[in-house]
Amino acid sequence: MFNWIKAIKELPSQLRAKGVLGMNARNYAVISQHNSRRLYPLVDDKVQTKNLALKFGVKTPEMIGVIEHQYQVADIMKIVKGHEEFVVKPAHGSGGKGVMVVKSYHGDNFTLASGRIIGYNELYQHISNILSGLYSLGGQYDSALIEEMVHFSSAFDDYSYHGVPDVRVIVYKGYPIMAMTRLATKESGGRANLHQGAVGVGLDIKTGKTKLAVQHNCPIAFHPDTKADLSKIEVPSWREHLLLAAKAYEMTGLGYFGADIVLDAQKGPMMLELNARPGLAIQIANGEGLKKSIKRVDKSYPSGLSAEERIKYILQ
Amino acid sequence: MKKLNALIKKFRSIRFVLTVLLLVTLIFTSFSAYYKIKYWGFSFSPKQNTNVWAIEAHVSFIADGSPINVSLAIPSKNKGFKILEENIIANGYKTQKFADKITFKSRNMIGEQDLYYKIMVFDNMQAKDKLKDEAPKNIRRPDWDETTLAQAQQVLSLAQQEEGDDNIEKLIVLFNQEPLNPALKSYLPVQYNQKQKLEIMQQLLSLKDIATRISRGLNLEEGQKITPDLMLEAYVDGAWRIYDPNTGKKGLPDNFLLFQRGGNSLLDVIGGEDSSVRFSIQKSITSTMNLASRRAKLSRKDGLYNLSIYNLPLSSQNSLKWLSVFPIAIFFVVLLRNVVGIRTMGTFTPMLIAMSFVQTGFWAGLVCFSVIVALGLLIRFVMSKLNLLLVPRISAVVIFVILIITGLTFFGHYFNIKIAQASVYFPIIITAWVIERASIIWEEEGARNAWHELSNSLLVGIIVYFVISNEYVRHWTFVFNEINLVILFAVMLLGTYTGYRLVELKRFASLVKGTKK
Repeated sequence: MFNWIKAIKELPSQLRAKGVLGMNARNYAVISQHNSRRLYPLVDDKVQTKNLALKFGVKTPEMIGVIEHQYQVADIMKIVKGHEEFVVKPAHGSGGKGVMVVKSYHGDNFTLASGRIIGYNELYQHISNILSGLYSLGGQYDSALIEEMVHFSSAFDDYSYHGVPDVRVIVYKGYPIMAMTRLATKESGGRANLHQGAVGVGLDIKTGKTKLAVQHNCPIAFHPDTKADLSKIEVPSWREHLLLAAKAYEMTGLGYFGADIVLDAQKGPMMLELNARPGLAIQIANGEGLKKSIKRVDKSYPSGLSAEERIKYILQ
Repeated sequence: MKKLNALIKKFRSIRFVLTVLLLVTLIFTSFSAYYKIKYWGFSFSPKQNTNVWAIEAHVSFIADGSPINVSLAIPSKNKGFKILEENIIANGYKTQKFADKITFKSRNMIGEQDLYYKIMVFDNMQAKDKLKDEAPKNIRRPDWDETTLAQAQQVLSLAQQEEGDDNIEKLIVLFNQEPLNPALKSYLPVQYNQKQKLEIMQQLLSLKDIATRISRGLNLEEGQKITPDLMLEAYVDGAWRIYDPNTGKKGLPDNFLLFQRGGNSLLDVIGGEDSSVRFSIQKSITSTMNLASRRAKLSRKDGLYNLSIYNLPLSSQNSLKWLSVFPIAIFFVVLLRNVVGIRTMGTFTPMLIAMSFVQTGFWAGLVCFSVIVALGLLIRFVMSKLNLLLVPRISAVVIFVILIITGLTFFGHYFNIKIAQASVYFPIIITAWVIERASIIWEEEGARNAWHELSNSLLVGIIVYFVISNEYVRHWTFVFNEINLVILFAVMLLGTYTGYRLVELKRFASLVKGTKK
């Protein structure tokens, strides 16, 4: 009984020693100090992010069109003409909510990535829902973004149960400081949310190789469904991943953000979205606190370098 | 590094300023609480009632035809009670009021006379022990022969062996022994009354150079034809002190109203005989807040009072009372979210749930809320098949909530189920949003997460309910409403808290434990 109390009592100082960043410290000391609020729309609105990315030479899935008003919804077939596949997503969505991936379509039948076939009405309804703000942060009116489908590289095929994993890189003052990939499981319902039972794999920032794999806060060695050896993960084109993430710093001006990157089989790493308020679960997947890395950057990393130079600096 | 230091400095200074403001408001609040208690009679306890005593002094005598001059001692101010109302009934008499007495004069009266002096008093605890009066001039010593004096000295030394804090108390104890000490018998007649006993005590104490006098007052207990009680006052260490002549207990007893002090008698009647004064006492209970303005006036501190919220119409006061309790509720929401780390649906949804619980009562509220949300979720699931747009959908949910509430209220009355009748107090929009959010979470993240967030919101709501339904909390936040300034700065100070949240300790525990499960 007393051991238990003692353990609880010591926990905060132990966490501090580990450099674990808490939610309050993240909001107060990191985000509000380094992320100016006026920059938020740049990352909260995927259309703006995409346009910026284009300007800064950051690879993203190509935009096919934008639907901003209800009357434009009927134009959807005109917009996707010439594209055999496309993705519809809310411009202000987060965490993959409201994303519809159309693999192919014939007439009124649309085949989704999950294999489900829907009619035109349902597609129309979905876009209308996006516009009415169903998936947007805070429920304000939104626009629907139609973009190219990513042909995911097969590198992660064995590691994920349904869904395709992306790589989340945390960038502080332009330096990638921590990375992980989230693998969907049967339990998580094909979703990449760690608290729903997805596997989080911490990646070594220099190599892109597995550092630690956890599920429900506990280290695991094999994927619970595919039984793949999680310690063998090595993200291909790691340097490009890092470079993409680092470039987003110049692109947005945010001092602290998370970049979600997917790997296209032909085009290589592509930036899917940026998050000005990235979650803290990445620390669990890495078995390490973010504060340590933040302090290291503040202390000794040079400022004023270009993205290329920064990547060179951390890889040396 | 320099930048970091500057940052820390800035951060520290914000915290410092907020702390200073918190302390300043705390001091201000304490002072104003002191002021309100002292001059307005507000109290810490929500026991809202004050005893108001209606005392009637009935003077009766038989007039013999000569000019009448009656003088009745009356309680003057600052004697532990405050006079609310005064009323004199004396037909055919000229009355005049002085600081400590009232006189009735008349020329041509014959036969039985009845004069009434009525007052309403309420206790004024803060003035209780202030018994200021002028110092005694000289001590009158009894004119005794040597034998009596020697006996007196003997009695005094006997008294020394009794228990008590001082000579007076010891002597009183000696005089109240049963059976009476034989040494006292020579002083007291076989049948003696309280007054005679007190006079002997006074004479004996005068030998010890202690000035004493007899005071009269009333023990405030409801009754008719009450004769005043006598008290012994002694001048000790530069102040008059009151002693209960039956027990020797020092100080004014509770609910004791002093009528007359010093040498004057309680009643003097010239031009009449068989005079007597009888008291009757009645108790009534009035709300302390009702007396506040009168108290403020009596202590000449009514300027501020008239500007305060307590001088507003009662309906406005009730609304303000209801509002004043929310800052503390908000404080608890902040505490539970940012320090404990409980995730709820919307920041203040739990507070609104708590507000409805206050209206409905706890169990009725809990049952009603659960029923409304459960039914709402059921309907919402059916509706999600219809694939409606957001605004019409949430609007439909709002209407459904209204229908559910209408149904519950109707059934409640029809079958006389009190609990169901309570449903009418739930805020419809908030309830609809709770249902909408719960169903979206259910669809997107599964039933467990939906249930988790619902129960978290309810838990926080229940905690907040117990805070704001607490009698003391509601009393303090209204009566000493400056406390809300303190809460404001406490909340702002919490805005600079960067430590771990309680739930984060569990969340990140695996980072410390390493590979252990």
